[in-house]
Amino acid sequence: MDGTLEFTIGLSEGVAWPWPIAVYLFFAGISGGALSVALFIRFYKQQSANTPFLKASALIAFVTIALGMLCLVLDLTNPLFFWRILVYYNLNSVMSVGVIALSAYIPLVALIALFALEEEIRRLPMLAPLLPLIDRLRPWRRSCEALVLVLALAVCAYTGFLISALIRFPIINTSVLPALFVASGLSAGAAAAKMLAVGVFKEDRHSSDMQILHGAEWPIMFAEALFLFMIIMSLVTGNAGAQSAFEAFHTGSWSVVFWLGVVGVGFGGPLLLNFATGKHFSHSSQAFYLSGLCAVSGMMCLRMFILYAGQNFAI
Amino acid sequence: MLAPLGCSVKEQTGQDAAPHYVMVFDQNKCVGCGGCKEACNKANNLPEGRSRVILEQQSSAVAGQACPHCGKTDCDCQRKYVRVSCQQCKNAPCVSVCPTGAAHRDPKTGIVTMDASKCAGCKYCIAACPYNARYINSETDVADNCDFCLQSKLAKGELPACVQECRYDALVFGDANDPNSYVSRLLAVKDSVRVKAHLGTEPSLRYIPIVKLGV
Repeated sequence: MDGTLEFTIGLSEGVAWPWPIAVYLFFAGISGGALSVALFIRFYKQQSANTPFLKASALIAFVTIALGMLCLVLDLTNPLFFWRILVYYNLNSVMSVGVIALSAYIPLVALIALFALEEEIRRLPMLAPLLPLIDRLRPWRRSCEALVLVLALAVCAYTGFLISALIRFPIINTSVLPALFVASGLSAGAAAAKMLAVGVFKEDRHSSDMQILHGAEWPIMFAEALFLFMIIMSLVTGNAGAQSAFEAFHTGSWSVVFWLGVVGVGFGGPLLLNFATGKHFSHSSQAFYLSGLCAVSGMMCLRMFILYAGQNFAI
Repeated sequence: MLAPLGCSVKEQTGQDAAPHYVMVFDQNKCVGCGGCKEACNKANNLPEGRSRVILEQQSSAVAGQACPHCGKTDCDCQRKYVRVSCQQCKNAPCVSVCPTGAAHRDPKTGIVTMDASKCAGCKYCIAACPYNARYINSETDVADNCDFCLQSKLAKGELPACVQECRYDALVFGDANDPNSYVSRLLAVKDSVRVKAHLGTEPSLRYIPIVKLGV
């Protein structure tokens, strides 16, 4: 007999948090990441105009966080209970702190989107009632942007803290997770927003904003890979629970998701498209969109892998 | 009749009045009849087939040696049982992660229990529990855990339903902070273990494991 006394069965079958939560983590990451990158650029270049990238980011940030909330509510055992989370608070709970952050973040993102898309709103008569609101709130735009930048990063990190509090799962219960989620949120958020900026808001693929993004995406991707490597190493060199969780990286279908989806598509895709193809192709619009899609799908695979492989390997 | 809430005779030591309710599961006595599960289901009005406690069957056979139960060297008899239920942690992950305070510690008894009217059904507590001892009640859609029958039995001054039901005295319940309680005396003379104690959850369920009787 090894150890003293253990039991292996439990009162709940399967994973407590299924794919809608992974999709929520994905959307929240895209939302926070896209908006942070856009506001970084806005503050860094001291822009005052509504750039196509800002428009795209604000729109994506609002739509994705709204969809994320939908996933979250639909995953409750009874979606009609959602009001309880808004009424009762427990400040020891990461989720409760997240609710507070999100209830500030979501209205502010909506406001940022109104400011950024003002010209588009003016063109649509249906949205005319929003114009006086935009005019009234204009003096606070700058402070809203500063606040929302902090909140956007907080939301990205929060999705990591939310699940890293689960002590039962070695892959998830790691302090690196919030950092990994911020990095992957920034890279996928920026990729999603830049595709929308070029595709819908007519941004030039070689504009200076795009060039900054292009320069920033490799260091961010490197940080992401580094954080993943740190998680893997801590499992390999960890205690019995950590070592058994390391299996997730080399056995079972989730390891395929990791190696093909996260590493192959998410990291390999953009790298190959940019550096392994001829200059002509790598500067083409096909390569631009394909590389963006790779980054976004890689991020989705990462969230799915972390959530499912994580919950499958309990201590 | 039964006096579960501290069996002491007068000499309560004043200051440490706060109780610490514990349950002891004696593996040597459990025969796996499952009476505890049925009693739990009935006492707490749970959906059919559901109880807050289950039993895991294990084998104490060692490969190549005669089975301590049937005597055969090659058997698959599983005659060792482990109670699987809420471990009533003093440092409970479910309580700290619950966003609404639905999973909470009863202020008077210190027992981890549920306020069903606050639970949003987010399942954070289920994912956080390192013992997988929580579940969603399919009738109420809210999370649930063994709270030593806090609302159904203890409130009436009775012992938890499973403890009352167990004919083999495999379950003992009482206040470990009361030096005169039966459970305190039992723990003073019996070696007992806690499950995954290294996680720092400080569980209040104690197990008296079957030990091999060697030479």
